[in-house]
Amino acid sequence: MRVNTIVYCIGQGLKNIKRHFLPTLASVGTITACIFLFSIFFCVVVNLRHTVERVEETVGITVFFDKELSEEEVRAIGAEIAKNNDIREMHFTSAEEAWAEFQKDYLKGAEELAEGFVQDNPLATMPSYEIFLKDIEQQGVFVDWLEAIPGVRRVNASSVTAGGLVDMNNAIGYVSIALIAILLCVSVFLINNTISMAIAARRDEIRIMRLVGATKSFIRAPFLVEGLLIGLIGAAVPLGMVWGIYERAIVYLQGKLAILARLLSFLPLEEIMRTLIPVAAVLGVGIGLFGSIGAVRKHLKV
Amino acid sequence: MIDFENVSKTYGKNVKAVRSLNLHIDKGEFVFVMGDSGSGKSTLIRLLLREIEPSSGTILVDGVDITHMKRRKIPHYRRKLGVVFQDFKLLKDLNVYDNVAFAQRVVVTPTRQIRKEVPQILTRVGLSAKYKAFPGELSGGEQQRVAIARALVNKPDILLCDEPTGNLDAHNAWEVMRLLEEINAEGTTVVVVTHSQEIVDKMNRRVIVMNRGDMIDDRHKGGDDE
Repeated sequence: MRVNTIVYCIGQGLKNIKRHFLPTLASVGTITACIFLFSIFFCVVVNLRHTVERVEETVGITVFFDKELSEEEVRAIGAEIAKNNDIREMHFTSAEEAWAEFQKDYLKGAEELAEGFVQDNPLATMPSYEIFLKDIEQQGVFVDWLEAIPGVRRVNASSVTAGGLVDMNNAIGYVSIALIAILLCVSVFLINNTISMAIAARRDEIRIMRLVGATKSFIRAPFLVEGLLIGLIGAAVPLGMVWGIYERAIVYLQGKLAILARLLSFLPLEEIMRTLIPVAAVLGVGIGLFGSIGAVRKHLKV
Repeated sequence: MIDFENVSKTYGKNVKAVRSLNLHIDKGEFVFVMGDSGSGKSTLIRLLLREIEPSSGTILVDGVDITHMKRRKIPHYRRKLGVVFQDFKLLKDLNVYDNVAFAQRVVVTPTRQIRKEVPQILTRVGLSAKYKAFPGELSGGEQQRVAIARALVNKPDILLCDEPTGNLDAHNAWEVMRLLEEINAEGTTVVVVTHSQEIVDKMNRRVIVMNRGDMIDDRHKGGDDE
């Protein structure tokens, strides 16, 4: 295709947009709403996933063993546990280390209280393993498996936090998919309608083009360009909105919901945009082209 | 140049627009097609433009069978034809220059060539002074001359005119007919569909008369001396 032809098709596409400004505005508005909602859910889901990953890195499972077992026997059970493929990391804490850690955490500034236990470790029966899983979603099954091992006395796991985050992430994912699917359909319908109107308004022009020998692709291209431009504008507007409000929203959340903000971990804007820009552009162009191709195939039989 | 071989066209189940038409038009001929409404004259033009396909028979243009032409080849075939309508079909938001240039732009003619050829053809139809005017600012005769310029700018071999004088007064109708004669004299085959017996009589050219889809007469000289 010649440069002149490309310029002509883009020019005609822009002219169509100008001619049917209100329907175009409605189409752009719906795509904007669709992609903006997508962007919001994307930000929430990505940040929650990031938080879950961080939780996965920090939240461990602690395994305690029967009191009568010696350290060697505990280590032998630990070696068996270590064979499980779900484990990312595993540390042994001996009774001595546990007592030293306890003193550091709870008896700082009151060391005289600990002196009474110099020869008698109160945590002598508390050697333990701290285990970190590859996937926090597997925690429930893994804890059940641990509890069934002979010699294991107790398993401590913060299942509420981990499970809650995973459940919230999944719920937001499902709700966002449903809402975005509905908005996608509305967007495609509105673009289809806008392009159909453009085709109807240019019926005479299209007939003349056909009769003087314009090719099918030449006649159809301006309408596809129009759909594409509507899609691109519909993607650019919400991206600009996300760019403008993302960091302000984080600051607001950290100020108003301090407890939640401490639990959550936010990704920087640049990292969000690195994925969001291409995804939103593909989504916008996809909606625009899909809607216009439908209209052109239905109403523009060349 | 144009050959209709036993061509029939039926709309729906039994509306016969053209019946078993056999017709030959030579290169460089000027032919009138006459007949009442519903006689099949416009169907003839639409068949030649390959807007519709015949129900049976074969149409050859320059030896090429256009009835079995692949769809992607039709646009290139149509570039051999120029077409003029009774209602001009000019684009109201384009001026005279752009209306004519439109026909070249849509077949991807280089801009330099458009800039050279559009003024030439506007001079040819006597409208060079009005190249900036919009269709609404022109008389019917002038609008039809713009339509003829648009039909001719791509240098077609055949000019098809569907009632070109139907919307014009007598003076403008004769202006347009004289222009078509000049174009024919330069070698373009011209096919004019008309109702006007007066024009046919005075032009004294070949006349094909259609009635309810049948060709009922083919006179090689129209007019009183026939």
